[in-house]
Amino acid sequence: MQKILKHGKIFILSFLMLGVYNSCTDLDEEVFDRVTADNFFQSDEEFISALGGAYSALGNNWGGHNGTWSTQEVSSDEFMVPQRGQDWFDGGIWLRCHRHEWTPTEPWLNNSWNSLFSGVNACNRVIDQFSALNVEGSDAFIAELKVLRALFYFNLMDIFGNVPLVTSFDVTEPPGNSSRQEVYNFIESEVTANINQLTDQNGGAAYGRINKWTAHAMLTRLYLNAEVYTGTARWSDVITQADAIINSGTFSLEGNYFANFNADNSGSAENIFVKVYDRVFSGGFNIPAMTLHYNSQFTFDLTFQPWNGYCSLQEFYESYADDDVRRQSFLAGPQFASDGSRVIDNGAEEADPDGPELTFTPEINEHFPNALRQAGVRAVKFQYTPGATQNLDNDFPIYRYGDVILAKAEALMRLNGEGDGEALALVNQIHERAGLASYASITFDELLAERGREMFMEAVRRQDLIRFGKWGDEWDFKPASDGEVRKLFPIPTPQLDANKNLVQNPGY
Amino acid sequence: MRMKLNYYCKQVSLRISTVLMGILLMSTMALAQRSVTGTVTDAGSGDAIPGVAVLIKGTTVGAYTDENGQYSLSAPSEATVLVFSYYGYETMEKDISGLDVVDAALAESVGTLDEVVVTGYTTQREEEKTSAIVSVRSDDFNQGNINNPAQLIQGKVAGVTISRPGGNPNQEFNIRLRGLGTIGANRSPLVIIDGVLNADINTVDPNDIASFDILKDASAAAIYGTQAASGVIIITTKKGVPGSTSVDYNGFVTIDYIDQTTEVLGRDEFLSFPGTQDFGSDTDWIGELTRTGNTQVHNVSMSGGSNSTTYRASVNFRDVEGIALKTGFEQLNGRLNLQQKAINDKLTINLNITTTLRNSELGNNGAFRYATIYNPTAPVRSDAPEFERWGGYFQQDLFDFFNPVALLEQNTNEGNFTRVLGDVNAKFEVVPGLILSGRYSQQRTNEIFANYTSKQSRGTGADRNGLASRNTNQFVNQLAEISVSYETEFGDLDFSVLGGYSYQQFDNEGFGAQGGDFLTDAFSFNNLSAGADFNNGLGSIFSYANRNKLIAGFGRVELGYQDTYYLSAVVRQEGSTRFGEDNKWGTFPGFSAGIILSNLFEVPGIDYLKIRGGYGETGAQPAASYLSLFTLAPGGNFFFNGAFTPAYGPNQNPNPDLRWETKQDVSIGLDFNMLNYRLNGSIDYFNTTTVDAILPLNVPVPPNQAPITFTNIGEISQSGLEISLGYKIFDNANFSWESSVAFTYLIDNTLDVFNGEGTVFRSNLGSPGQNGTPLLLIEEGKPIGQLYGLVFEGIAADGTWIHKDSDGDGTPGEDEDREVIGQALNDWQLGWNNTFRFGDFDVNFLLRGVFGHDLINTFRAFYEAPSSMTTYNAPATVTDVRNLTDAPIFSSYHVEDGDFIKLDNITFGYTVPVDGIDWMKRLRVYVTGQNLFTITDYSGVDPEVRLEDNPNNAGIGDPLAPGIDRRNTYFRQAGVTFGVNLGL
Repeated sequence: MQKILKHGKIFILSFLMLGVYNSCTDLDEEVFDRVTADNFFQSDEEFISALGGAYSALGNNWGGHNGTWSTQEVSSDEFMVPQRGQDWFDGGIWLRCHRHEWTPTEPWLNNSWNSLFSGVNACNRVIDQFSALNVEGSDAFIAELKVLRALFYFNLMDIFGNVPLVTSFDVTEPPGNSSRQEVYNFIESEVTANINQLTDQNGGAAYGRINKWTAHAMLTRLYLNAEVYTGTARWSDVITQADAIINSGTFSLEGNYFANFNADNSGSAENIFVKVYDRVFSGGFNIPAMTLHYNSQFTFDLTFQPWNGYCSLQEFYESYADDDVRRQSFLAGPQFASDGSRVIDNGAEEADPDGPELTFTPEINEHFPNALRQAGVRAVKFQYTPGATQNLDNDFPIYRYGDVILAKAEALMRLNGEGDGEALALVNQIHERAGLASYASITFDELLAERGREMFMEAVRRQDLIRFGKWGDEWDFKPASDGEVRKLFPIPTPQLDANKNLVQNPGY
Repeated sequence: MRMKLNYYCKQVSLRISTVLMGILLMSTMALAQRSVTGTVTDAGSGDAIPGVAVLIKGTTVGAYTDENGQYSLSAPSEATVLVFSYYGYETMEKDISGLDVVDAALAESVGTLDEVVVTGYTTQREEEKTSAIVSVRSDDFNQGNINNPAQLIQGKVAGVTISRPGGNPNQEFNIRLRGLGTIGANRSPLVIIDGVLNADINTVDPNDIASFDILKDASAAAIYGTQAASGVIIITTKKGVPGSTSVDYNGFVTIDYIDQTTEVLGRDEFLSFPGTQDFGSDTDWIGELTRTGNTQVHNVSMSGGSNSTTYRASVNFRDVEGIALKTGFEQLNGRLNLQQKAINDKLTINLNITTTLRNSELGNNGAFRYATIYNPTAPVRSDAPEFERWGGYFQQDLFDFFNPVALLEQNTNEGNFTRVLGDVNAKFEVVPGLILSGRYSQQRTNEIFANYTSKQSRGTGADRNGLASRNTNQFVNQLAEISVSYETEFGDLDFSVLGGYSYQQFDNEGFGAQGGDFLTDAFSFNNLSAGADFNNGLGSIFSYANRNKLIAGFGRVELGYQDTYYLSAVVRQEGSTRFGEDNKWGTFPGFSAGIILSNLFEVPGIDYLKIRGGYGETGAQPAASYLSLFTLAPGGNFFFNGAFTPAYGPNQNPNPDLRWETKQDVSIGLDFNMLNYRLNGSIDYFNTTTVDAILPLNVPVPPNQAPITFTNIGEISQSGLEISLGYKIFDNANFSWESSVAFTYLIDNTLDVFNGEGTVFRSNLGSPGQNGTPLLLIEEGKPIGQLYGLVFEGIAADGTWIHKDSDGDGTPGEDEDREVIGQALNDWQLGWNNTFRFGDFDVNFLLRGVFGHDLINTFRAFYEAPSSMTTYNAPATVTDVRNLTDAPIFSSYHVEDGDFIKLDNITFGYTVPVDGIDWMKRLRVYVTGQNLFTITDYSGVDPEVRLEDNPNNAGIGDPLAPGIDRRNTYFRQAGVTFGVNLGL
């Protein structure tokens, strides 16, 4: 009896163990604080939020540090980031950027690549999802996404040239390069094919989204640089595309140039397509941190201490006439706190003739290693409101009507020569708006300079310098360089490492 | 005295023998009886020994001695011989024919081989072990200002590196066993406390620990599967002993003072450099930031019990003051260990409960950086009106330059921790040798972090007009295990087998909010809604929750033949939710064998010689949950139809193949005793390869969704040699000297495969100005921790750096000229412990040395240049580069040899004779000095090896970027402790 009882216990216990073992071998992961494809895309709102994933990638490319914007601007004659003694050496990445001595390992290049391709990828994914959905209205979304994708590709093609062309979400093999021509063709055909499905509404519900006018502006700029991209000029197409915008009557030049760049610039009649920024909802536009002196904090009552990095080149600053209203895009000379007192920089170098009273001098004593802390004029084209955070409210114009006017003028001059009367009238619209007397005539050099003054900070200067054949020239703190090889940036090393099918650009 | 301290550690095996004895006692009730009493003492000291098992030979009648060493038993009338046995003593037999009173004086056993080691799920005698398992008992623990269990064995165990650079009392120790074997979640050993897997080492107070058993190789650790790749540390707490009631008090006070900082220039030297600013004062910033740290620790415990119930209850109070202002903690810990037997002693139930409440002042580690580089001519405070806005603290509007005293005094940074561990387990002996066991335990950790930065603050959180944050975390670990074991003998063959099932579930969740713009500082962090940021959309809030599970079956077979040949095999099949859906289960086997050669043939001068060896596989899990899943996350907002709409996008690529890392370990070892057991030692060699190491791999986008995929790609190899020696140089009644050495040589710790890219730069010097400066080179097939940079050759006449033109292209100082300029991880490590006893006096000291590692002195890399002195003070070594005009550029000049030898602690103790005091059993007073001297060439704060970069308070950082002495290292401290141990 005793024995049976014992064996009975063993049996029951063994049975229990087996039971527990079977019921407790479930190893599926339970998610609580994140979403997977399994528990997402259930509602319209969730699909729209996925569309947002495609747009939010814009934010990493316009107006922030160490990405696409820095790539376009510091390599041009608009900006430089000198090494200010102990600050801003950062392994020489900004010195090389400005001197056109960059290598494929520069982090700003890889960041640029990553953020632009994340936009491409998000578009591919959402296009795929909307296509599968096949509901009413999804065609319009797909057209919008295809043009947005073309915008990302436009920038990739502009910066890196021979980038892989991936247009589908379900690719599994790492893609190889496509030629710059192929990418160009893709952009052109995508925009052209989808332009008529885009809304022609501007502002309101369409604000900050791709519309028909964005597509025309994209094509305007694409054709403007077509000769650089493909070897074949498309000047008359520039005019056609620009005219589509100009003749629509949808846009007009703002009387006040800075209305396009104010903290509340969403009502600008001139901005065609913007990246919408907001200090609360959509951060990332932190140019005041990048450019202002540490103590400019007291000028603008900022809620953070700026980094004292980016400044403009003396010769670029001095290309503005004294009475050019656009010259107010710069902070120069003595600096005052919001209470009217002088801003003091107790860290000023002994060698600084201005002493501790903060004074931004157009002249920059040297590029490195000991640029003075106060050297260089600073950018204030985008308004900094009192109490600004590191995330500005100002929306960043990616396409602007003023640029379209100048593009059309340039195309006319390219076709008809410097004496083209219509071109002169167009340029004078821009020139006069800046408070300046009209040009009686205009040369290509003057056009380039005027484009520089008008489009400062809007990430087109590099394209302009290349198109006007000035890219290899010498300018402040940049020696003459190979204007051919360096028209393209190299494919970033981490991308080559991660994708064995990629080939480096020629000359790198 | 040794036996009393030893006393507790024997309990694991004592418990087993108690079970057996209880069974035997039950079956012999019916015979004719007589009474025998007596006292058992230590033959050397004459002290009574409690807890000695007294058995009538040839029968199963027995008793234990009580706290006075006395026993009383009823013996059958025909009984003739009593057997007295106690661990650590020679077993003695005594004739009791015709005697009613039988006293015994036991001699300490010369060998230590009957000591018990705790292996996975079971115990073994030292002699039976076949793996590299090292035990450290409480009488060998370090003494002094010890507030973390890891400190008890620092320097004591070959192969174990325990490191905490600086003296931050709130920072955890980083524990590494045999180098870096995984980059995954478990880089530190698995901690098991009284059988509870994955226990938090902070749930046990150092005063309550009886022993550490460290499973160094995989042949033993494989039974813990995916959690054991970095070895296993098993902690056994002190337990009650039947028949012996005791009340103990242990307490100490410590006075800590600043030991080492980076030496900086004083006022006059500073002003001798051009461009420096004189603010008119003379301030020792490091002195302003520090104080004498007063620590007090009190422990009261009581224990005792009967044959059926034993208990030990303990209360620990710790009030620890760091040497930096506003750092330290108060901790109250309580523990109850209760054991109850039932059903004729066949059923044993253990209940262990512990609660730890800690309130910490966490300070601000940034203060150490600014104290080191702040202008020595600046005053701490000023009445000038311009400083009113900073609350009267002197401040300057310079980049990255904050008054360190203000940083600490104006900010509140607190942590509140509650840790509860409850464990109930039961064993039932179905038939002799067959035991069923079950356990359920739950460990619950609650953390509340609270932080407030004043409206008048500059620096961290400044410009926010007051900034408050509160974060909470809750971690709940549950463990359920059942197992069956059977143990028997077939003639000369001892056989035991174990099988079981284990279920672990980990639930983590947390919540936090941060916001600023307060009208007043009065709320501190207690009223977040008063911050206007929350109304303006500028406050931030987060919460998270995740769960993971580990499920396993495990087994072990052990064979012993003629007490000479031993074999052991273990296996664990374990699944983790963290693995990809196609690879949920891994199998981890281990085999080992040992032969006691000295039983087979005589070797002159050698008393005992065993060779053992084994192979095992252990694993490592991914470092976080959900790494194998495709997930989407909110990524900002976009403007849609006139309103901001959250944007969701993929943030992680799926990897359904994600699986465990496997560490393959071959170990051999030799244990020996010589010179009549006066010299004992072990030599261990290991060679391991970790395959399928989980690493974040850069992948192209597209086709991938995110640029990182966690992939089983890495391979790491390690090999090393460990030698432990102990020698009783003198062993007389009045004088003894024991010396022991733990020596570690890590021959190889190589990252064979990283990501297939060949070379990758790692880590970054940082702001100001050196953001693009990598500090390490990861190179496949090369050691982990290659420091990397330009090679310094001198300073030119014009004050510019001369760096080596390594690539010979005529332009030195380019990125291409960088070379490997140092090795971050140590290869040699030595602990030398000595214990002297002169009568009632004892002296113990531990010298610890770590050799072969280099350190990047980041203070020097950033500030050791006259050109930066317009703002910052510089390390005193700046006088060597007085002519330098260049800005700082990191090079081999800033890499220093980290070798050191340190007197970790030295203790003088006196045991007060208490023979005449009947209520007192024991009284010892001692004084300990910690860190009294360090011999090193390193000029920074602490030459201790930096195992990981930017570690958080839990010591977790980047393991592939060791060797960087960051600017936030807490100053090193030294101290003197006065303590008392009282036994009633």
